[in-house]
Formats: sequence, structure tokens, C-alpha cells
Amino acid sequence: MNAVVHAPVTDRVRANTWPLINERLDAEAQLRLRQAAASATSDEFTKRITQLDYEWDIDRTLETEASVMGLVGLALGAVVDRRLLVVPAFVATMLILHATHGWYPLLPVFRRLGVRTRDEIERERYGLKALRGDFTAIPLAGSAAADRASAVWKAVCE
Amino acid sequence: MTIDSGAALKRDDSPPDRVRAHSDQGQNQRIDAQTQHCLERHGTSEREAISRHIQELDREWDVERYLQMNAGLVSLTGVLLGAFVNRRFLVLPAAVFGFFFQHGTQGWCPPLPVFRRMGVRTRREINKEKYALKALRGDLDGPSPERHSDQEGR
Repeated sequence: MNAVVHAPVTDRVRANTWPLINERLDAEAQLRLRQAAASATSDEFTKRITQLDYEWDIDRTLETEASVMGLVGLALGAVVDRRLLVVPAFVATMLILHATHGWYPLLPVFRRLGVRTRDEIERERYGLKALRGDFTAIPLAGSAAADRASAVWKAVCE
Repeated sequence: MTIDSGAALKRDDSPPDRVRAHSDQGQNQRIDAQTQHCLERHGTSEREAISRHIQELDREWDVERYLQMNAGLVSLTGVLLGAFVNRRFLVLPAAVFGFFFQHGTQGWCPPLPVFRRMGVRTRREINKEKYALKALRGDLDGPSPERHSDQEGR
């Protein structure tokens, strides 16, 4: 088993996730990379990269869920009982808390369900691109900066 | 500022990046051009300088974070005004949550053009720069998946 992959400490969602869940998600990604390295064809690489592009990340999942909860709470508060307005107020406060600190009440649930941060998804995605050989054509250190820069830009955009 | 016109014209606002798909093309190109300019500056940088810049990128706020902050603040204000001042203020959080749902599912919402014009990037755009820098730093040279998946952590 490889060394545990460490995300930057600035990844606030990972910082607010139970470590075992982070490790499980990382291990699963590393396993998939190992499988790709062993036997994937060019088509399989493309297919897998596309899947990762379409995967819903934690921010998107959270935003969709929060808006639904907020709207439902708002409707109930406006029509049924004004005290229910505490629901949209709570959702709004939690959104601010998530933006600043990374925590959100339903975060443990989403993380346990395997919803990843965009950074985690991209880490696997660029891993696949590297395995596919997208980064082999970059001029060595010492070549012109402009050449290196445009080669690397082309590699990350493909 | 030189722009690699070949890469700039390449359509890389793939449908999955719904924020780019719903941003003004000029803004997307401006952001791409800035990234390419940054890569050129680091084309011959020392490892230290590249690592420092990568750390800055990890700390950069992406557009989702700004949108969440904005939606939270505006809707909270609207709910409080609606609860204690006048019920008609509730139309404000209703609009915010409604548009936020649209953003979550489809991509667009009213504050998006404002943040994009300010140069706020998507996490994908930030990662593009980050992994390009990692490639310049030499992280992505190794062919072995073992070494590779260890390196992907930083």
C-alpha cells in the first residue's frame, strides 16, 4: 500500500471530514489509477476522464441541497408559520459557514456517500492524464520559458 | 503578454465546466491568458518559487466559495427583514435560493457575471494552473504509477 496521499491543509472540506473517510476516498482513487496504469486503453482513459469531468463535487451537491431546503423552509415560513423562517435562516448561515470554514451540517453524510471535493476529483483526473502520457512532450528545464509554458498549457487543456 | 493563439482558440470550456459555459467568452479568454502569462513567468523559475505559487493557488477562493458566501449573506438578510420588517422582503431569499438552485444544476446565476468580471476563477481553472506548474516543476515526469500517486498528493 502506498504512502497516504496528503491534501494541502487549505482543503477545508477534507479538514472537516473524518480522516478514515478521506483515506478511503484516497485509497479508492489510487486503486483506480493503479488499474489504469496496468491495463487501460486510450479509449478507457478518455472515458474515465470524461466521467470525472461530469462527477458532481461537494460544492455542487451542497448548493443544490441547500437551495431546496431554503426554498421549502421559506415557503413553509411564508404560508404556514412564520417561525419556520428559522429554516432558511439556518441554511443561509450554514452556507456562510461552509464558505469560510468548510463545515456544513450534512457534510459528514455527503462525504460518507463518497461525494468528493473538486480538488480530489481533479487529482485523480490529472493522475490519469499523466499516466496517459499527456505530460511527456514538455521541453526540459533549461529550454525557453515560452516553449515550456505553451507545451504545458496544451497538456493540461487536452 | 504573449498568448499561445493555438491554445487560446482551442475550445476547452467543455460542457462539464458549467460556470465557464455560462460565462462571457471574453472573460474566459482573459482568465486563460493570465494563466498562460503566469506559466511563462514560471517557465524557468526555481522549484521554491513554483512551490510557493502552488501554495497560493491552494489558498485562492474559487467562484463557488464566493457564490456561497454571497447567497448566504443576501438570503439571511432577506429572511431577517422578511421576518421582522415586512413579509414582502421574503422575495429576496426566494430569488437567491431559486437562482442558487439554477446555479447548482445548470450553472448560471445573477452574481456569476460580476464575479467572473472580477477575475474569480473556477476550481478547475485554478487546478489547470496548479497542475501545469507541477508539470513545470517536474512532478509529472515519472512513468510509474506508485511514484506518481504519491506525488499527486502535494
